[in-house]
Amino acid sequence: MSAVSFSSWNGKIVDNRKGGAKNVAGSVDVELPVENISALAGWNGLVVIDPDADIISLITNYLKEARKLSCGECSVCRLGIDRLLDIFGKMAEGGGSGKDLSEVQQIVKGVSANSRCNFGRSALFPALDAVKYYRSDFMALIKGEKKLKTKEYSSAVTAPCAEACPAGLDIPGYIELIRNYRFEESLDLIRERCILPGVIGRACLHPCEEACVRKDMDESLSIRLLKRAAADYDLKKGGSPLAGPSREKEEKVAVIGSGPAGLAAAYNLRLTGYQVVIYESLPHAGGMAAVGIPDYRLPKNILNHEIDLIRRAGVEIKLNSKIEKLSLKELKKKGYKAIFLAVGAHAGNRIGAEGEDKGYEGLVDGVEFLRNFSLGEKVQPQKKAVIVGGGNAALDCARSCVRLGFNEVDIIYRRSRTEMPASDEEIEAAENEGVKFNFLMTPVKILAKNGRVRGVECVKMELGEPDESGRRRPVPVKGSEFTIDTTMVVPAIGQSPDLPVMTGKDKVEITDWGTIKADPVNYKTNVDGVFAGGDCVTGPATLIEALDMGNKVAGSIDCYLKGEGLSEGISFDGMNTGEQREEGFIAGKAAEKVGLIDVDKRCESFAEVESGYGIHEAVKEAQRCLRCYRLMVWEQAG
Amino acid sequence: MVNIIIDGRKIKAKEGSTILKNARELKIDIPTLCHHDELTPAAACRLCAVEVKTNGKWKITASCDTVAEQGMEIKTDSDKVKENRRLAAQLLYYKYPSTAVVRDMARRLGVEVSDEKIDGHDCILCGLCVRACGEVVDVSALRFRDRGPGRDIDEPEIEFDPALCIGCGACAYVCPTGYVKMESVDNKRIIWDKVFKMQACSVCGSYFAPLDQLEYINKKTGAPLSRLSICMSCR
Repeated sequence: MSAVSFSSWNGKIVDNRKGGAKNVAGSVDVELPVENISALAGWNGLVVIDPDADIISLITNYLKEARKLSCGECSVCRLGIDRLLDIFGKMAEGGGSGKDLSEVQQIVKGVSANSRCNFGRSALFPALDAVKYYRSDFMALIKGEKKLKTKEYSSAVTAPCAEACPAGLDIPGYIELIRNYRFEESLDLIRERCILPGVIGRACLHPCEEACVRKDMDESLSIRLLKRAAADYDLKKGGSPLAGPSREKEEKVAVIGSGPAGLAAAYNLRLTGYQVVIYESLPHAGGMAAVGIPDYRLPKNILNHEIDLIRRAGVEIKLNSKIEKLSLKELKKKGYKAIFLAVGAHAGNRIGAEGEDKGYEGLVDGVEFLRNFSLGEKVQPQKKAVIVGGGNAALDCARSCVRLGFNEVDIIYRRSRTEMPASDEEIEAAENEGVKFNFLMTPVKILAKNGRVRGVECVKMELGEPDESGRRRPVPVKGSEFTIDTTMVVPAIGQSPDLPVMTGKDKVEITDWGTIKADPVNYKTNVDGVFAGGDCVTGPATLIEALDMGNKVAGSIDCYLKGEGLSEGISFDGMNTGEQREEGFIAGKAAEKVGLIDVDKRCESFAEVESGYGIHEAVKEAQRCLRCYRLMVWEQAG
Repeated sequence: MVNIIIDGRKIKAKEGSTILKNARELKIDIPTLCHHDELTPAAACRLCAVEVKTNGKWKITASCDTVAEQGMEIKTDSDKVKENRRLAAQLLYYKYPSTAVVRDMARRLGVEVSDEKIDGHDCILCGLCVRACGEVVDVSALRFRDRGPGRDIDEPEIEFDPALCIGCGACAYVCPTGYVKMESVDNKRIIWDKVFKMQACSVCGSYFAPLDQLEYINKKTGAPLSRLSICMSCR
């Protein structure tokens, strides 16, 4: 961005005004959240594009919004903002003096230095910049030489954790409610964007915690566990129903697949009033949450309870309804005005070893293995299982085998531990449970006798140059072949969508990767009225990413059925929400510990390993939140 | 034990102890309005501000919730500390000009306070009652209202849930301004406008505790009501 009149963003002064601060002309390197802004006040300073923008009105409106974000508990932030608003209000009525401007500076400095949270520490800087660099405007107002312009202002709020969350949950918001013993309201807020709080509170990979400002100080907030605490609290009290539609709509929508994407879309469409039917091929709803994540991480009763609530809100789920041949004409004949394809990615990828297509007994694909015993199939424990892969699915298979009573469980992975895509906590748990990791090797041949697996031939690997994923590419070491004796091999190196065959004229376009091609913003496919999202579009991703797409698809389908366009969103991608001008002193405080079942006991059953936070632990953990709310208020140009 | 320096004095502090606790043990005067030794620090009033050296820079922090760490250097009486405490007191006085404890505190910290004789009892949102009710009594009948997004706190308030309150009076006991009122007349106690029936001691006959509270203790600890109906002095 180049043509700014003035900027104090992140404390860097750029002043292109006539007679402005000397020697600081230049451009700023921040991208504003929407286009055509004439002036913006944000947590990190002011950015003024239009030299005629009314900075005093802007800052007053900014402070009014800031007042709403102040939690009101620590004295200086709430009372400081009140005092500033009173001072500016007095000036607007023609009162006040230059002395008041000094008081503004004194208050901002005090609030920034002595506030309890990061909101208070950072929020008032634009007020300081305004009185410092637009002093003549304030003096003109005080002297009655200037009237304030009445303008419309827009505002937006985010936080580093909320930015990192694929579904953009208001994380500081629901944490603050927990801190105040308001678990019910916390859950309501979570449900606005996450309809499976108990599921996500257990199985999310929590990118939010990676972005937590506390991460580099002591420990990230246990955000996932706090979400779980809100869900557990509700379930303990009997489970509150989900909100239903305020008015019914006639249009019917079909959702194919009941995973997180399908469920989130279905519920949000239902909430808007649509008649929604989900077609699920398996005898259980939940997609990968039901058949991909074992009980010790996500007990079925939690998932079933949350699905049941969605059902009770009026979403019909037809189980055992595999759609082998998708005829859009047929579905439209049934009265569906829009169709959402969310069939997931349930077909295991091939490992490229000789003999893997021979149908040997004892060679079973990872996702299929997890799915089968999730659906109740008995698994005969064997002496040894070899799992191939380094992702969470491989670890789920391995940790399940331990629990099923296999004597030895080996993981073989072609790269080293640092490149493993599985989460650290999963790897650590698997190690504790006795899973053996073997790095830098890959299977080349499945060995079998009389149609039964009896071993696997592997080759050693070494790491070469980084590939397109940024990880070092594994290269086979010539002549290093060796054999591992085993009666069971479980490849788990990734999944692809298992798409229904398209019939009829309108064929949904498929990418070279075997995924459905959908627009990244409105999730429309090439066929009118057909939308797609979740793993069948992205390839295997996380539950929360799929769920987020479901939320967005619901909005997109609603716009489509109303004949409206999708409004453009606000993006903070060009702003570093992690930075703030006054960091203050933050006393170190480790995260609350969560109970885990002893390792010996753990391996005996599929009982949930993690016990979750109780009320007091959750409140205590919530007290660690630094509330890094980032507020922005702006005037639109034109 | 960890070694810390407060105002140039080298002392040994207990692991996990706060700056406030250590300073007070040294008889250093640190003002507070939202602190109670038995409750989790809320760091709300910001009057207990001190300076702590971190990465070579002196920063303001609340002493009540900052735990002493090995090698920590603390100043409790610097100009910056005084200035920050004075501003917090000035803002409190600006908002609650008639509340006696606020007036006294503001005067003590160098704020110019009018001489009128007024004796108000505003709620300053220190949260002591909320914490006592949640942490010590464990009933959470008191909570802050208007929390979370969409909050529009003209005057943030404490919300009282009469269904949960057992009438123990812990909130009135910890309230620094006298906002929480508790009245006990004969066989009745009135608190937050809820009327509680008092239990007469089965030995001496004096009314000593709300029935609801005794029933709560009975439910929580299993102590028989027959024993709980005897007042502390007769037990």
